[in-house]
This record gives sequence, structure tokens and C-alpha cells, in this order.
Amino acid sequence: MTKHYSEEDLILYYYEDRPRTADFQSHLDSCEQCASAYRQLSATLRVIETPTEPERGEQYGLEVWQRIRHQLPEQELPWWSAWFRADRLAMAGAFAVLLLAAFVSGVWWSGGVTPARVDGVAAPSSPKASADDEARQRILLDTVADHLDRSERVLTDIMNAPAGGDISAEQRWAEDLVSASRLYRQDATDVGEHSVALVLDELERSLLEIVHSPSKATAANLDQLRRRIDAASLLFKVRVLGNELRERGQQHGQRPRALGTQTS
Amino acid sequence: MDTTEVTAVLARARQGDSEAFRTLVERHSRRAFQLAFRMTGNEQDAEDVVQESFIRAYRQLGRFEARAHFGTWLHRIVANCSVDLIRSRRARYDHASTDTLDAADQPEVDAPNPERLAASAQIQRTVAEAMSSLSPLERAAFTLRHYEGRSIAEIGKTLGLGTSATKHSVFRAVRKLRAALEPLRGES
Repeated sequence: MTKHYSEEDLILYYYEDRPRTADFQSHLDSCEQCASAYRQLSATLRVIETPTEPERGEQYGLEVWQRIRHQLPEQELPWWSAWFRADRLAMAGAFAVLLLAAFVSGVWWSGGVTPARVDGVAAPSSPKASADDEARQRILLDTVADHLDRSERVLTDIMNAPAGGDISAEQRWAEDLVSASRLYRQDATDVGEHSVALVLDELERSLLEIVHSPSKATAANLDQLRRRIDAASLLFKVRVLGNELRERGQQHGQRPRALGTQTS
Repeated sequence: MDTTEVTAVLARARQGDSEAFRTLVERHSRRAFQLAFRMTGNEQDAEDVVQESFIRAYRQLGRFEARAHFGTWLHRIVANCSVDLIRSRRARYDHASTDTLDAADQPEVDAPNPERLAASAQIQRTVAEAMSSLSPLERAAFTLRHYEGRSIAEIGKTLGLGTSATKHSVFRAVRKLRAALEPLRGES
């Protein structure tokens, strides 16, 4: 009994996904049933012409770029690098400094331990603890300044987003920033940085509003978001505070300075 | 642009350099549009796919392996964006996809007479309708096989399917297209 090829075999043969063996070809030459099936199949597939796409000129790439340049999201990092992100490293660094400071203070204040002596004289204060505090403060200031920079970018994107455009990338970004903002606000309150806490509080509200807006934001949605940002002069405050904290962070490395600088 | 320059541009783009990414967009947009149009069969949808693909590519550049070819990687993103778009706009395709394939859009073959032109237009309309009836994956697999000349293995890798699933997507697509076109064979 002659074995005939299936439609699937013939399709693979037509597209050369099946090796064009001599056996197969000789079968088609000798078997009218398979040859006829193959002729019908190939006749049908041949009439399916590749659609002619509308012409796109030399400048098309530039046009695409102009359309997407303001929508570019933050790049995702490979999973392994998530642990090496600058903000996480900064947080880890700050945590390590805090631990060290806590340990040094514990040693200093515990009754059973004599303070270190230099040239036989009790040290009047701990320069190491003081340096640790300075380092901790500098790291925190830089971390919050970075946070404000990232927030500024999201707010700017929202201010420039087209009506009806997809803002889901900005929303994901804002969502990440909300939780960080909450932590920094708490820290700022704890160390008496009330003006910083106030800006972070306003920022958090706007970020939350962005997160909870529809991802295909209408003109009305965007207008509402922008009015809140404008009403609080939030972009301006975030920019000024970011610069100020960064400056203070740099100055901390050179000379001691009180934390209470006002920004509003 | 030689290989060294391409590698340098890619490295800069992966570090978030938007100007470097702009070079990649300018270089690959037309090819991306061609594929997106073949996949979706609609000019506006193809434009949307191109934009979404580049935005997706930018977001995922950190995952792009430097030794791979950017064009191949982008091809995969465009194909998958097209599948996503077809899925999300399925209802619209049921009505609109035939708009793109009227008689005036078809290439001329051997100065066809009016009857032949009409028959050819009828075939292409039927093809467009039949393509709209395919599932997003069948349509994608068939487009990559028939129009793009990709192998089953390449299609599987692009769409994240196994060899068997890829083959069956192509088989089902061909079967449906044949069923739609068989009645016209006598007329053409």
C-alpha cells in the first residue's frame, strides 16, 4: 500500500522546513494524488502576496525618534544588578554607617569601658563618631537629593505628556518613588528637617495622584494632575531642594553645618 | 557604521545615553515599520507598534546581550508588540483590516486587464479577511513564515513557542487561508 504525505508534510515541504529529499520528490513525481494535493496547496499559497507597505522616507527614523523621545521610560536593569543600584547601595551604606555609629556610641557610653586615650589624656569627644555622623548625614542628603531628581523627571514627564497618551511607565516609576518618599519624609521628621519633610509630603501626594490616574490619561486627568503640581510650585521646590541638599552634602565633607537650613 | 561603531553605540545606549539610542531608532525604524505593517495589516497600527517597540526596547536594553544583533532582538520585540496589539484590537480588525488592501494598492502584474485586476483585488480582499480571522499567534506565525521567510525554529524563538506549537500555528493558518481561498481558485 502506498503511503501518502499529509497536508502538514506538504506545507513543510513547500516552505522548505522539511529537507527536499530525493525520496520526497520522487514520490511526488510518481504519486498523482500527492502531486495534485501539492499543486493545489502551492497554487493557493502563491496567490497570497506580501502586502506592499506604505512608503516611508529617509527621515522616517527621525520622525519616530521625535515621537518617542519624551516617552522614554527608565531602563530596566538586569535582575542581578538590582542589588547594585546606586540608591540601594547608598541605603545600605547609610545603614552600615548607622550601625557603626550605634556601636561606637554604645562603647563610648557604656560604664565599663574607659574612653580611648591619646598621649595619656582622655579624649574630650570621639572624633570617629563625629566623622561617622558626618558621613551618615552626607549620604542621607545625597540619597534624598537623588530621590528628588528622579521625582522631578516623573513630574516633568507628566507636565509634558500628550492627552490620551499612555502614562503607565510614569505611573510605575511614581509608584516606586512613593514608598521611598515616605521613608525619607519620616527620616527628615525624625532629624528635625521639617521643611524637607513638608516638600516630601507634597511630592508624595502628587506621586500618589499620578499612580491612581488612568494609564490612558485624558486631557482632563492630566489637567488635574498639572494643576496640583503647579499649585504647590512642586517642580520648583523639588528642583531647589535637590540642589540645596546636594550642596549641603558636599559641604558636610568639608565643615560641620547645622541641619536646619530652611527650604520651602 | 561598522561593527565597532555599532558596539560602541549600543554600549552607550545601554548606559542610558538617549542620543545613542536615537541612532538606533533612526537606523532600524523603516525595517521595524515594514514588519509591523506585515504583521498588523494596518498602517496606523504599524505606527503604534513601531513606537511601542522602541519604547519597550529602550526599557529592556539592560537585558540585551551585547553579543546579539540589535536588529534581530528588535525584530522579536516588534513581532510580539504586534501580537499584543492584534490581541487588544481584535474587534477593530474584524471591520478595518480590509481597508488597506483595495485594488489600487495592489502591484500591477503584466498590465492586467480589468477582469484580472478585479479578480486579483478580490483575492487580496479575501486574503485580508481570512488573515483577520486567524488568531493573533496564527497570524504572527504565518506572517513570519510566509512573508518574512523565517524558519520554524526562528519563529518559535521570536514568539516564545515550542517547535510543535509553532508548526501547528502555521498549519492552522494555512488551513484557514486555503478554506477561504479555495472558492476563488476557479475564478482567478
